[in-house]
Amino acid sequence: MFRLTSLQWKSFFRSASVASGLFSKIIMFFWIIYATLMSLALGFIHGVGGSVVDPEGDRYPDPFSWINEEIFYLLGYLIIFRYIFQKIPVLNIRALLLTPLKKSKVIRYAMNQTFFSMFNLIAVFYLIPFSLFLISEPENGSFELLNIAMWNISIFAIVYTTNFTNILLNKKDRLVIGIGILLASMKGLEYFEILDFSIYSKIIFNSFYETPIFVVIPIALLAYTYLSVHRFFTNNLSIDTGLNVEVKEAKMNNFNWLDSFGNMSVFLKNDLRLIMRTKRARSATIMGALFVLYGFIFMGADEVYGDTGVFFGLLFSTGGFMMTFCGMVPSWDSKHYPLMMCQNITYLDYLKSKWYLGLIGTLLMTILASIIYSYFGLFYVVAVICSGLYNIGLNSFFTLWSGAFNRMAIDLDSNKNAFGDKKAFNSKTLILMIPQLIVPLVVYYFVSKSFDEFIAAYCVGILGLTGIFFRNIFFNIIVKTYKSQKYSALDAYKQTN
Amino acid sequence: MITFNNLKKSYSRNVVLEINSLDIPKGQAFGLVGNNGAGKTTLFSLLLDLIKPTKGKVINNNIDVKESEDWKSFTSAFLDESFLISYLLPEEYFYFIGDLRGVSKREVNNFLNQFEDLFNGEILGGKKYIRDLSKGNQKKVGIIAALIGSPKIIILDEPFANLDPTTQIRLKKIIKKLAEEKETTVLFSSHDLQDMTEVSERIVLLEKGKIVRDIKTDSKTLKELEEYFTKE
Repeated sequence: MFRLTSLQWKSFFRSASVASGLFSKIIMFFWIIYATLMSLALGFIHGVGGSVVDPEGDRYPDPFSWINEEIFYLLGYLIIFRYIFQKIPVLNIRALLLTPLKKSKVIRYAMNQTFFSMFNLIAVFYLIPFSLFLISEPENGSFELLNIAMWNISIFAIVYTTNFTNILLNKKDRLVIGIGILLASMKGLEYFEILDFSIYSKIIFNSFYETPIFVVIPIALLAYTYLSVHRFFTNNLSIDTGLNVEVKEAKMNNFNWLDSFGNMSVFLKNDLRLIMRTKRARSATIMGALFVLYGFIFMGADEVYGDTGVFFGLLFSTGGFMMTFCGMVPSWDSKHYPLMMCQNITYLDYLKSKWYLGLIGTLLMTILASIIYSYFGLFYVVAVICSGLYNIGLNSFFTLWSGAFNRMAIDLDSNKNAFGDKKAFNSKTLILMIPQLIVPLVVYYFVSKSFDEFIAAYCVGILGLTGIFFRNIFFNIIVKTYKSQKYSALDAYKQTN
Repeated sequence: MITFNNLKKSYSRNVVLEINSLDIPKGQAFGLVGNNGAGKTTLFSLLLDLIKPTKGKVINNNIDVKESEDWKSFTSAFLDESFLISYLLPEEYFYFIGDLRGVSKREVNNFLNQFEDLFNGEILGGKKYIRDLSKGNQKKVGIIAALIGSPKIIILDEPFANLDPTTQIRLKKIIKKLAEEKETTVLFSSHDLQDMTEVSERIVLLEKGKIVRDIKTDSKTLKELEEYFTKE
C-alpha cells in the first residue's frame, strides 16, 4: 500500500508544475476547510431546528422529520454532484500489471483512495453535529441513542454506496441526466402540490430509526456495490478489455462553411472536431452550456445575495463556455503543442481562433440566457446582455491570457479505458476564474448603490465593449505572454505526455 | 542554409550539447548518429526552437530561429507523436498541414496518391482516427505529412525505427532523391549505421553533446562508424 502511495507523491512532486499544482492544492485546502466548517455549522443549526435562510424566524418544530423528508433529494443531488466533480481514482495501471503486486491490492488501493473524499466527509461532518444537537435540544422531543446511532450508520452506508456507484456510473452521462430530470420533476410535482414524495422519503428513512435492525439493508447494499466495483475493475484489468481502447468508426467532417473565417477557419475546424470527438472537450462544452441555468441559484435567494449576487450568477450564465472551454486553452493542444510550435502558424491566428470560438459560444449562451431570463423582467434581459458583453470583451482576454500560464496537460486519449481520468473539467480552472469576476462585480456593486441597477449593468456592458474595441492591444499583450511562456509550457506538456 | 554558432545547452551544470560551429549547406542529406543521450534530439529541438539555448544561436536560412518565426514557412519536422493531432482522421491531418503550408486539398490528394502502396488501405479512406492507428502507421502519417508542400528543410528524428520494410525502403529512396535534386535539406538521425551510410551524404557523430566525427560518406564510412562504436 505504502509503495503505491509513494508513487503518487512522486508524480506530484516531480511534475513540471509543482508550483501551480501546489497553488491549486492550497486553494482546494481552503475550500475543504470552508466546506467542513459549513457542514458542521449547518449540522448544528438544523439540529437545533433553526433555519439558515431566516435565522430570526420560528424554529422548525421537528428537525428529524424534516431531514427524513429531505434526505432522499439530498442523496440524489449528491449523486449528481459526485458525477460532475468527484475525481475517479486514477492509477497508472498498465505499469503495475506486471509487478509482483497482487491485482486485487492495486484495485483496493485505487478504491480506498476515494474513502476520505470530501463528498463523504461532508455527510459525516453534517450528520454528527446534527444528531448530537438533535438529542441535546429538549424541544425536539426525546430520542433513543442506539436508534439514532443506527440511523446515522444507515445514512453513512448509503452515502458510501453513492461513492462507489459513482465509479460505475462513470461513462453514463444519459443515466445521470435522467436522474437529474427525475429529481427535478419530483421537486416540481411537490412544489405544485400534485404529489409529495417527501412523505415516502420520510417513511423510508424514519424506519431506519424506528427499526434499527434495518441498518443491515444499507450495509448489504454498500457491500454489494463495493464488490461490484471491485469486480468491474478486475474484469477490466487486462489490456484487451477495460484497458483497451474502444474504437468507434470515424467520420470525416469538413466544415466547409467555416472557410469564410479565413486563416482562423483551419483552427476552428479542428476545435469543432475536438469537441465532437473527444469526451473531455465534449463534456467541458456541455458543462459550460449548463451554466446557463446558474443564474437561478442566486435568483432563488436574492434576499440573501442581493442583486449583485444575481448579476454574479448571470455572469456565469453567459460565460460558462468561455470558462470551461477557453479556460483550458492551450491545454487542449498540449498533446501536440510541439507540432503547433513548428508549423507555419502565428500565435496571433491561433489565439484569435480560440477567441472567436469563445465569442460564438458566449453569443449562443447569451441569446439562450436572455430568452430564459426574459420571463423575469426587462432588467434580467439587460443584465444578461451586459454580462455577455463583458464576458466577450474582457473576460475572454483575461481567460486567454491566464492560459499562457496553464501547465495542465490534457491527455485527450486517456479517457478511453476504465481507469482513465474521464473528468471533463477540473474545479481548479473554475476556482481560478473567480478573481476575474471581481472587477465587474465591484463596478456593478458601487454603481448600483449610487445610481440604479440598470445603469450598473450598462456600465459593465460598456466595459466589455471597450474591451472589444481595444482587442488588438490585448491580443498583443497575450501573444507576448504566450511567447515568453513557450519553452516552459512545452517542457511541462512534454513531461506529462 | 543552417548554421549552428557557439551553441550550448545545459540543464543546471550538466552540458547536454555544445557545438562550436556546424554548417549544413543547402540540399544536403545530413545524418546524425550517436548513442542515447548524445544530444541528437536536443539538436533538432534547438533547431525547431522548441527549447531555448543556454548560449549561442541557430541560424536557419539567415533567420535566427529564436528571434523570428519566419523559418516556420519553409521548415517541416516529425520528431515524435507529439507532432500528430490524435483526434483527426489522417486525411484531415494532411489537409490541416496542407492548409498551413498553402497547399490546396486537391494538391494534397495528388501528393498522397503516390504513397497509396505504403498506406496499405489502412490509413486513407479508413474509418480510424489517428489515435486509433497502430504506432507504425502513426509514424507513416507523421513522416508523410512532413513532406507536404515541398519544404526546404525536413527534420526527421529516427525516421526508420518502427517502420515496416516497404516504407523504410521507400523513405530512403525519397531522401536520396531529394539529395540528388539539391533543393531540399534533409536532417535525420538514426541508430542504424547501415541505414545511415546508405542514405546520407554527410554523417556527424555526436557523443555526450559534442561533435566527435564529421564524415563525408563514402564506401569506408560504415566500417569507420562500426569501429568507433565497437571500441567503446
